[in-house]
Amino acid sequence: MKVADLLEQRRKNWQELEWLCERTQMRRKKNVPPAMLSRFASLYRAACADLALADSYQLPPNTVAYLHRLVGRAHNQLYRSRDFNYHAWGQMLLVDAPRRIFNDRCVQLSFVAFWGIFILSAFLAYSKDLWPAYAEHVLTEAKIEELETNFAEPIKGRDPQLNFIMAGFYIRNNTGIGLKSFAGGILVIPGMIISIFNAAFLGASFGYMARPDVPQGHNFLHFVTAHGPFELTAIVLSSGAGLRIGISWLSTGGLTRESSLRKTAVDAMPIMGAAIGLFFLAALIEGFLSPSSAPYWIKAVVSILSSGLLMFYFVVLGFPRRGDVF
Amino acid sequence: MVAERTGFANNLLAVSLFFPVPPAAPGAWMTTKSAHIDTTVEIVTPENIAFHYQVAGPFRRLPAFMLDLLIRAGLYTFFMIVFGLAGAFTSMAGIMWGATMIIWFLLDWFYGGIFETWMNGQTPGKWVLGIRVLSIDGQPINGIQAIMRNIMRTLDMMPVFTCILGLVAMSLNRRFQRIGDIVCGTIVVVEERKWLTGVAKMDDLRVAQLSNYIPADYQVSRTLAKTLAAYVDRRRFFSIPRRREVARHLAEPLLVQFGFPLDTSYDLLLCALYYRTFVADRSNDERIATEFGASPFTPAALADATTQAAQNPFDIAPTQTGS
Repeated sequence: MKVADLLEQRRKNWQELEWLCERTQMRRKKNVPPAMLSRFASLYRAACADLALADSYQLPPNTVAYLHRLVGRAHNQLYRSRDFNYHAWGQMLLVDAPRRIFNDRCVQLSFVAFWGIFILSAFLAYSKDLWPAYAEHVLTEAKIEELETNFAEPIKGRDPQLNFIMAGFYIRNNTGIGLKSFAGGILVIPGMIISIFNAAFLGASFGYMARPDVPQGHNFLHFVTAHGPFELTAIVLSSGAGLRIGISWLSTGGLTRESSLRKTAVDAMPIMGAAIGLFFLAALIEGFLSPSSAPYWIKAVVSILSSGLLMFYFVVLGFPRRGDVF
Repeated sequence: MVAERTGFANNLLAVSLFFPVPPAAPGAWMTTKSAHIDTTVEIVTPENIAFHYQVAGPFRRLPAFMLDLLIRAGLYTFFMIVFGLAGAFTSMAGIMWGATMIIWFLLDWFYGGIFETWMNGQTPGKWVLGIRVLSIDGQPINGIQAIMRNIMRTLDMMPVFTCILGLVAMSLNRRFQRIGDIVCGTIVVVEERKWLTGVAKMDDLRVAQLSNYIPADYQVSRTLAKTLAAYVDRRRFFSIPRRREVARHLAEPLLVQFGFPLDTSYDLLLCALYYRTFVADRSNDERIATEFGASPFTPAALADATTQAAQNPFDIAPTQTGS
């Protein structure tokens, strides 16, 4: 059979397949009628067969190009991305994430580095003998001024409407910072510098405010105690997950750099998911409880409870089970 | 990272195992760089079908992103107005503004991820520009890939929203992947409609006629068939001397081989060969030949007789220029 006749014969099928692609494009899969589905399937098979035999049919190149596009389009309608698997999210956050966090060297490193630098920096800022100008160096005068004016008033609670706005703001702002440090982690060095700077800065603020001669220190502690554990842990987790991805293309464990990156990105996702969850919890506490007039012991209890919860999450849920492979 | 097939595909696969070779294991999509020097990738599906995609470059992806930015801004403004009004009328302004903040956060970080999962690898901007995100092996992307590659965009846009990192990454690999794409193993492909152009129509009767003189045992090879198709597809953009020049290399040896007069038009010969390969139906041709009743080898006389030299598509009398 000559090509011209063949094309004339097939043209109708191909055009129908194209029309079906258009029709199924905007529909969810359950809304596609079965008759249309089976028609689509047989037309797709026919087009695939035509493409596979294009060489022996001696189809002209522009027809082959057309067929490539057509089969590609139909293939994308046939194999579709799945909806989010919400069930798997629970599994990811409660089972995968804690075990990965417990076992992940990068998260451990980031944890040790963050808290080490935090405590060291807090101590240097607190002590006036070791390095008297340390707090001024790290925090700068302007920042100290700002901290002192912000916490000049004792915390007496505020308009509940404002609490909602601030909770929304903390979710947006803090989670955004966490996600940025996660993404920046790929470029190991900048990610590390940012984490170290964050730890030093936060440590210095805590140390400075804890000085006995800073009158605002009491208000500061009143504010930060309740949400501190969740927020600081979330920062550690997101920079640790970023570092994990960054390390993966430096030390590939025998894979190519690209596939090592790809594999690790999937592993790091649960950790980042846990960090986002913690940022949300921290933002709610920071928005509602921290600025409230509740007595300090309630905030301290919340702080202790949340630390205990984190311990449970990391150690009890995360303790390696037999047969775990990470 | 092997995404499972969708249920939609599974239904079809049950009836679509039509190839004699056993299908490869699920997830056996493979992608290789095609032989062309071009921005295409070849994808081999488990059904053993290989087809080509054109990879989308930055100049198609940037407008899509800009469009998405606009849509995002529009959505944000919409929600701000709705929640703002709701807050103003219900004295719950705080909750409403808090919700607006959260929506702002979600739009910033998860707009792309959510749409790419729900719309099968497309955001509204990508849909307008006709591009789609796929895994590098041609499979649809899954939710994790979609979310991740959109979170990684902050890195691609560094430093300070200039997109330099992303552009450098794109230029360093053959599939135009930005850093987010490399991390998630995704590519962005062009998915547009291409119009089906059939076989070229040969209106000139001499083509059919000359094709009858071509020896019946002459087999047109596959590469020659491709060359002929490419030539005939493009010859309408060439001037007559240019056609001569292009067709000459192929036609001269063929004229000798077929024993045709050497002053036969080169262009006419290639068209006749094309006609015989792709269109000809012998019985029909003989009828044409008898109706036309003249020899194609007397071209100069014909050109005079029809007095349509101006519209004549073929270079009839080979002028004896210096060459």
